[in-house]
Amino acid sequence: MRSLQREPGLLLALLAVIVLVCVFILYPQIRVIITPGTGYIDFLSGGTWIRSTSQSIQVMVLSTTTAVLLGFVFAYAMVYTDMPWKPFFRLIGILPLLSPPFVVAASYLILFGPRGLITYGIFGQTISVFGLGGIWGVQTIAFFPFAYQLIADVLSRSDARLEQAARNLGAGPWQVFRSVTLPLSRPGLGAAILTTAIYVLEDFGNPALIGGTFTVLPTQAYGLISGFGDLPGATAVSTLLLALALILYVAKIRLDGGRSFITVSGRASSMPRPPVPVVLTWACFVACLLLAVVILTVYGTLLVSALTLNFPNNLSFTTKHFEYITSDVNGTALQNTLIFGVVAAAFSAVFALVAGWLVERGSWPGRRVLDFLLIMPAAIPGLFFGIGYATAFNEAWLDWLDRGVLIIISMIFWNIPVGYQAAVAGLRQIDRTMDEAATSLGASSLRGFRDVLIPMLGGSISVGFVTTFVRAVTTLSVVIFLFTSGTTVATIRIFQLVNDLNWGRATAFTVADIGMAILALGGIALLSRGRIALGAARA
Amino acid sequence: MGIDSRYDRRTFLKLAGATAAVAACGGATPAASAAPASSAAAATAAPVTGTISVYSALNESTNNEFFGAFRKAYPGVTVNVLPLAAAGELQTRIRTEKASPKADIFIGGSSEFHDPLGKEGLLEAYIAPNAKDIDAKFKEATGLWTGWYTGIFGFISNNDRLSKELGGKKPASWDDLLDASWKGKLILPSPLLTGGGYIFMATQIFRFNKDEAKAMDYMKKLHANIAQYVPTSPGALALIDQGQFVGCPNWVHDILTEKTKGNPVDVNVPADTGFEVGAVSIVKGTKSLAAAQALVNWSITKDAGDLNVKLSNRGSTRTDVAPAAGAPKLTDVKLVNYDRQWATDNKDRLLKLWQSTVGL
Repeated sequence: MRSLQREPGLLLALLAVIVLVCVFILYPQIRVIITPGTGYIDFLSGGTWIRSTSQSIQVMVLSTTTAVLLGFVFAYAMVYTDMPWKPFFRLIGILPLLSPPFVVAASYLILFGPRGLITYGIFGQTISVFGLGGIWGVQTIAFFPFAYQLIADVLSRSDARLEQAARNLGAGPWQVFRSVTLPLSRPGLGAAILTTAIYVLEDFGNPALIGGTFTVLPTQAYGLISGFGDLPGATAVSTLLLALALILYVAKIRLDGGRSFITVSGRASSMPRPPVPVVLTWACFVACLLLAVVILTVYGTLLVSALTLNFPNNLSFTTKHFEYITSDVNGTALQNTLIFGVVAAAFSAVFALVAGWLVERGSWPGRRVLDFLLIMPAAIPGLFFGIGYATAFNEAWLDWLDRGVLIIISMIFWNIPVGYQAAVAGLRQIDRTMDEAATSLGASSLRGFRDVLIPMLGGSISVGFVTTFVRAVTTLSVVIFLFTSGTTVATIRIFQLVNDLNWGRATAFTVADIGMAILALGGIALLSRGRIALGAARA
Repeated sequence: MGIDSRYDRRTFLKLAGATAAVAACGGATPAASAAPASSAAAATAAPVTGTISVYSALNESTNNEFFGAFRKAYPGVTVNVLPLAAAGELQTRIRTEKASPKADIFIGGSSEFHDPLGKEGLLEAYIAPNAKDIDAKFKEATGLWTGWYTGIFGFISNNDRLSKELGGKKPASWDDLLDASWKGKLILPSPLLTGGGYIFMATQIFRFNKDEAKAMDYMKKLHANIAQYVPTSPGALALIDQGQFVGCPNWVHDILTEKTKGNPVDVNVPADTGFEVGAVSIVKGTKSLAAAQALVNWSITKDAGDLNVKLSNRGSTRTDVAPAAGAPKLTDVKLVNYDRQWATDNKDRLLKLWQSTVGL
């Protein structure tokens, strides 16, 4: 990508990206932040935010560390080892993303609460999951899939030849891992840490349900809106979250420095990776299996309660909960969920890729700003993203705008960060000479991007598509301020049923929602001939 | 590509619409045949027509039948219900949508959620003809909101654990909950996040004749026994159903519903308790004022009151509506002198006071 003046197509693409980002990410947030009143100053001088900020940081450090470690082990096992049952683990690696947290957190309580079926029923312990420990555990499981997807994408693009060379020069497996594999996966690792940390910071559902008296910034913000109707105070909290995200972002830029992480240059080799020691393969297998058992227990609880009359007090088998969810508006809700999710994911993946390319390969001024703006949505609690959209786009002159379209747009831009991060991380591994070869031969930058880079970025597209899809399918807080009776979605219905204490129907709906999402992802994987896979790792 | 996918979505939605229409036709036959009889009774003046969008914080199980009955009474009115059993979110929605309101009616949720919207000028005042049957303490004087149901705050306990761990002793007064034997066994809907939790806290203030220091002292001692502040009132009920905790102050009507489902729980009403007034209001800027007014007026009829009692176990603001089986009447329980306007006006201040008292 050289001169913007020489390539009008490129300039147009850049302008389009900038306009879209300004209209759909920046503008709604500005509308939220400039809520009139002195609430901002009152709130900050009140000082209640200090404790929740420090607790937010505490949770972020703990959960990010374990989630990224777990994600790394999982990704390494999937990409490097030849452990058995990989398709099964691929599913496990995405399952935690596929259900609304407020249902899963309830399932954790049933299993691990003070009278939990496992903690009390089996072990006779009345440990409490409420508080920091509970949030830490649940968030680790909930967010490791993000880390796993990003890291697996990067690992699968690592160059086997470098590792073979190291082995041939006498390095042991551990030395190769430490001095070749790990350093080269740094862009993915950095992206994974950054994204996971920001998502943990922004997480509302888990701390709300099992945080107990342990308040973090998003729960405080929600309390301010729900309890006080204090929008200015709540937006002050939201701004604090953005500030923290900005700090993380700057830290990551510093850490990356000006190093090169290129692993793909010239024709990809067909050389196999050096074999992983058998012991390590089996250790990975056991670790993944343990994780799978935990996840399946939690989700199995949902399935059991969906199939029983009144879980856990009446365990008679019934299918009436499933009959209910196919009736009435519920079918429409499932259908809307599917359509919104697929459309949003497709646009989001493409947009993330184009934006990632413009930022990573470009040398125009201000690209760091755009870079941050594209990561920012991860730090905006869904609540504020929804409020921003409801405020900014609910004007009389915009009433022609279809609500379904608006919901899709909100999902596209709220979920941009992961796909964008994947695209950037991917591009940083591909040698510039690749696309420069195309442009030297007379192709435009856009053509080089389309014909040379995109085919090599299948994994990143996949990450963008899958994460946007699953987050679109599971989001509640963004949609809650936007949906209408005709554009209701599964999470809204589930939320409604949970509030109505109809646990059987709520879990049946969740199971149907997850099942539908898995089928959709599977179908898309088939249609795209594996280019968009269920989970990124295609070793 | 953009046009294609949009077109696809349209086709999908049309299909969805067609399916829904078929389903509706199947279900609507008995309703249609019943309509003439009831509409004859309702239509004293010219029949009301129009389309209204209703933001409903009512229970899922109430919505369908309740608005179904309204449609029967007013066949000319099309009702689009947006169900969201979270009054705080609906309140925020109405606020954020003020540039171009999407709701005509806000129904359900304690009047505390409606009153601030009225003060901000977002509600349309309407004194319904039927409001003459409603006591003044259940409605806003200028008609910004009208109270149509009541809910009493009681106490849910898990039978098994109560008898084993507390000798089966239910709290006769709220002070009983300060006993050390309750430590770690009590939960409370969060006063910050739920209407119920706030009403519970305000009740304590009225119990001590608005002596806030004494009330906060009570809340602080209670805090020592509380294991959890739960983000939703129904969420707290589920935890008691499962026996995760032993007891929780909560809504009597919801506890009754849980009990009738076969959960091992029971309800009682400690002395000097508080109550809510469920409200209905018209959102300013409605384009179907007549239809919106018809819904408000219909909500406070005896028929609507009886139906809501049957569907939700709640009480009615009308004296001629009998309470649900097993449910106490407002006049049967010992209530505090609940000054609703004061509680609403001082909400922010009191919640902040509570937060600093218990250190949350």
